[in-house]
Amino acid sequence: MALDKTIHSAFARATGPENVIDDPVRCRAYECDGLTGYRVVPDLVLLPRDAAAVAAAVRVCAEHGVAFVARGAGTGLSGGALPVADGVVISLSRLRRILEIDPVNRRAVIEPGVTNLEITAAAAPHGLYYAPDPSSQQVCTIGGNVAENSGGAHCLKYGFTTNHVLATEVVLPDGSIVTFGGDSPEQAGPDLRGVFVGSEGTLGITTKITVRLLPTPETVRTLLADFPSIGAAGDVVSDIVAAGIVPAAVEMMDTLAIEAAEQAVHAGYTVGVAAALVVELDGPVEECEVQFDQVKRICDRHGCTRLHIAGSAEERAAIWRGRKAAFAAVGRISPDYFVQDGVVPRTRLGEVLDRIAAMGKAAGLRVANVFHAGDGNLHPLVLYNAAAGETERAERLSAQIAELCVELGGSLSGEHGIGTDKACSMPKMFSRDDLAVMQRVRDAFDPDGLCNPGKVLPTPRLCGERPGPYRPHPLEEAGVIERL
Amino acid sequence: MSTPTALRPTDLRGVRDAVLDSAGPLAIAGAGTAAWAGDLHPVDAVLDTTGLTGVIAHNPGDMTVSAYAGTPLRELNETLAAHGQRVALDAARVARGATIGGLIATADAGPAALARGSMRDLVIGATVVLADGTVARSGGHVIKNVAGYDLAKLLHGSYGTLGVLVEVVLRLHPVPKQTATLALDCPLAEAAGRAAPVLDGPYEPVAVEWRSHSSGDGSGPAATEAGRLLVRIEATPDALGARARRLLRALGSGATEAGAQEWAAHAERVRGRPEQAVLRLGARPSTLPGLLAALPGAATDAAALTLGVGTGVATAALPASAEDVVAAHHAVHAAGGTSVLRDRPAGLGAPAWGPPPSALRVFKAVKTALDPEARLGPGRFDPWI
Repeated sequence: MALDKTIHSAFARATGPENVIDDPVRCRAYECDGLTGYRVVPDLVLLPRDAAAVAAAVRVCAEHGVAFVARGAGTGLSGGALPVADGVVISLSRLRRILEIDPVNRRAVIEPGVTNLEITAAAAPHGLYYAPDPSSQQVCTIGGNVAENSGGAHCLKYGFTTNHVLATEVVLPDGSIVTFGGDSPEQAGPDLRGVFVGSEGTLGITTKITVRLLPTPETVRTLLADFPSIGAAGDVVSDIVAAGIVPAAVEMMDTLAIEAAEQAVHAGYTVGVAAALVVELDGPVEECEVQFDQVKRICDRHGCTRLHIAGSAEERAAIWRGRKAAFAAVGRISPDYFVQDGVVPRTRLGEVLDRIAAMGKAAGLRVANVFHAGDGNLHPLVLYNAAAGETERAERLSAQIAELCVELGGSLSGEHGIGTDKACSMPKMFSRDDLAVMQRVRDAFDPDGLCNPGKVLPTPRLCGERPGPYRPHPLEEAGVIERL
Repeated sequence: MSTPTALRPTDLRGVRDAVLDSAGPLAIAGAGTAAWAGDLHPVDAVLDTTGLTGVIAHNPGDMTVSAYAGTPLRELNETLAAHGQRVALDAARVARGATIGGLIATADAGPAALARGSMRDLVIGATVVLADGTVARSGGHVIKNVAGYDLAKLLHGSYGTLGVLVEVVLRLHPVPKQTATLALDCPLAEAAGRAAPVLDGPYEPVAVEWRSHSSGDGSGPAATEAGRLLVRIEATPDALGARARRLLRALGSGATEAGAQEWAAHAERVRGRPEQAVLRLGARPSTLPGLLAALPGAATDAAALTLGVGTGVATAALPASAEDVVAAHHAVHAAGGTSVLRDRPAGLGAPAWGPPPSALRVFKAVKTALDPEARLGPGRFDPWI
């Protein structure tokens, strides 16, 4: 059932008719986010230009019972911005103003459509930067970062989005505007800002964000080290932690991921080696040098076969290019792939990788591993060939890997979010009561269930009557939605 | 009025039973190190969390620990120190035996919040018992985790009105190999200017605080006129000397190396004296010195002040009068900040909270969703809830 004319014109009045897309062909551009396997074409796409228009649009939704999905740059990897059938997409891409850079108080006030990297660019003249750095930081927006509580390679030392957001103005699902948080970390009452950040667009739409800025580190030291086994590289990470060193980043790649990245960007990684570790330290020069020497010694002690220390900004950028290219590069060695985002306690990295390897073997599929070794956040890439009919097997393996992380005491997701993708796996991690309480919190914000419905928490509609391990859901079998 | 029934469970099941077996208004009490927020209304029972103590699991390699919420943070950190680890929270009440659950429920923090944040930034998982006996868990044992809503954050600053924290999982930091504290005497009005090179520079201070010299007993100069700027760094032994010297230069004339006891003196002012009304307040850092100075009684020798120069979180221990507390709340609110009354003399009769924030509606809705019979902590959010 499409939205009727009355509702359509109400939206046009709310945002201005020129900011409404109703042409199905143009709406198709919004049918999915970075998780392209799920696609739903929205009835309307609204492109409000300011917070008041967002609120007006949401009020129309509330009045007419229309479901809405907020959307930033659409780079999310969990289907968090998947449109809802008969619903509208509210794109925040035109709320792009940097409202204030306050160097004295080291903060920025921005609208949600500003990209992550634009904040740092605006702060840089003051010797400041915005710390969370998701891989997609050139294109992903701060509004999406708030929704997903985005991390990044440097969150080991600097924390996640939630640790850097001081306040957020929010349009609630009834169309009213409130502010969570404030000018200091001190808040009156519960940390609603903390509940909102990472709620994946299910509790409201952020229209203005105040973030902390940090002084740009004086020194950054980066090394790339090769090891004859994943285990040896893992031991290095353990020893770094045991030495009381908190690196800015510790990243690991396995043979397959290195091969793919090197083919793609020629960043100087050693093809054929079992494991490569990228360790980056930053901070005051004296501290950084002392600890960097310690890290080098730890690498040597564990049989490092090659230690490459970035001698210039260009060399450092090359190391990171290799690491960041790994995802896309896997496309060169496999026609299709799924990215996973599970987390395990760091000390169980060896165990989880062994089991993933065994599971991959049993499924007859290759798995490349790229991960944030410092915090146990894995990004296994399940390689498959859809044309050869491997999709279902790959999908099952991918879900099994996420659920294995939970079994080992970890989490379904470290930074990509639950979204549509993992909602049906939530009962693996949380009890019925846990989920029911989360639902109560959600209902307190959104009593009519209009705000990004179907995401995060499992619903019988998506997961079948008995929530449980992934199985093809009824809509999929009916051909209403599909996974690649 | 009859004495409330005392409930002192020692495990999760005990908490659930205590909540289910009691009826009517229920208060949650920790170590009793602070009388924060609104005065409790009469309750039928008090759930004492001090029997819920001890480490459940410490994973040194993962730098996480789970512990019962009634565990005093000081004790927990003594246990963790054997592994060179700690919960990096240095709230003034910790020395008095404050529990980890109490520190979360009251959203308390200390000077190190500049670098490490408050409990909201350190809690990675929680198990909570709601007023209807429902046991809910959120988060987990890994530092990086975005699965589901973060109920621990909801409990942070809830003052025992949304649920009983039973188990808490915390992220840990290494115990620093060495620390150094640098000090500089200056009045409140100069604190921000003197601290600016440190906060804007590449020094990675873990704490930058100003405190008044006045201890509030009326024997010293006016709180606003004389005080000390304190900067703390954590370092490896080989880097400490050079970093401290560079910081001294950044701070400029009058700066000296001081001892760790400076922080005890700071904590004393945060805690205030029994006859004072102690407010905790937050505002945009650059507005805070002026705001503090204008609070009723602040510019006298009967007040004691602390100021988180980088965080924008301050405490003002003021000569107590209910009208002055009201005036202080309004002044802070007018400056875009937020304030809460913590310790104060019994029977002061001052409101704990100022004008309500725009988010109060949401808080009320959450309160109704989680505690529909309004059993928990009645009065804590007077006059808002």
